[in-house]
Amino acid sequence: MRHLTLADEIVVLMLDDSVGELKPAVMPVANVAIMGGVLMELSLMGRLDSDLQALFAVDTTPTGDSLLDDVLSQIATSTVPHPSTWWIETLSRNRAELPEQILERLATAGILRREDRRFLWFFSTRAYPPVSGQEEQEALARLTEVLFNNQTPAPRDTLLLGLAAATGALEKILSDHAMAQAAPRIADIVRLEEIGRAVSTVAGLIWDTQGPATIIA
Amino acid sequence: MDITSHIEAGLATLTLDGRLDFATSRVLEKAAADILDGGTHRILIDMAAVPYVSSAGLRAILVAAKAAQATGGGIAIHGLQPMVADVFITSGFGQIVILAETGAEARDRLLAGKAA
Repeated sequence: MRHLTLADEIVVLMLDDSVGELKPAVMPVANVAIMGGVLMELSLMGRLDSDLQALFAVDTTPTGDSLLDDVLSQIATSTVPHPSTWWIETLSRNRAELPEQILERLATAGILRREDRRFLWFFSTRAYPPVSGQEEQEALARLTEVLFNNQTPAPRDTLLLGLAAATGALEKILSDHAMAQAAPRIADIVRLEEIGRAVSTVAGLIWDTQGPATIIA
Repeated sequence: MDITSHIEAGLATLTLDGRLDFATSRVLEKAAADILDGGTHRILIDMAAVPYVSSAGLRAILVAAKAAQATGGGIAIHGLQPMVADVFITSGFGQIVILAETGAEARDRLLAGKAA
């Protein structure tokens, strides 16, 4: 199976499988989650590092992933240090094409399939239902493991939980009651990673102004 | 970063000197992995001479703590400088490792097996 980046995984988790589109409810924070996933992946790949004041490039060697390399280049050439929250806000703003970009590459990888749909004779849309759903199930299984086995999570799973919590994607595995019970552990885990906290902060500001979802941390 | 390692009576002590960031985090990861692979599962880390810790540095500690806990052991850290302590507190690392003021307290809590 192709290795999915965290940006790929959060798009898979934000997808409404039955219609092959991102859930309308997640759209306000979709770009924030995707860009957060990109920064997280670059951090795990040893290209970025951060502290409480700034996010910065530590290795500008291209990764071979065009989306990741574009972001890495922008951060590496910045002459002014900025915190992770600033980069997430800036890089996710005015990027309406970003979700489609990830959906397209997931379709090219054979994880989603393209379905062109036409309505009212002349309007057409493209949907991306999953081929097998295996990737989503695998991601949800990892999140379930992190939440319920009470052990120290691996960095990648910690970061994925941060994205899932910020977008409300955890509703796929947790009822409202279970979400309330798990909230303290989710918050504790999300805190562990600086970029996870940054995604949570930026998404929280958006939800504060655009209406609530069941968001934690 | 310089790391010195000492193992005695089932307890490993790592003394760090220098910045713990992306460039040095793998040195710590390897030092901790070597100790765990050698059969010692409790690690005491003296960070009194560490003036800076980045996200990559924290992640190295997270990885080491996960590996130590998987074998029934754990990690205790002491001597944090104020700015470094801020990083640990903001990140909630007190839930992952034992954070203590002194080496003696860290050692006692680690040997007692008390949760972080």
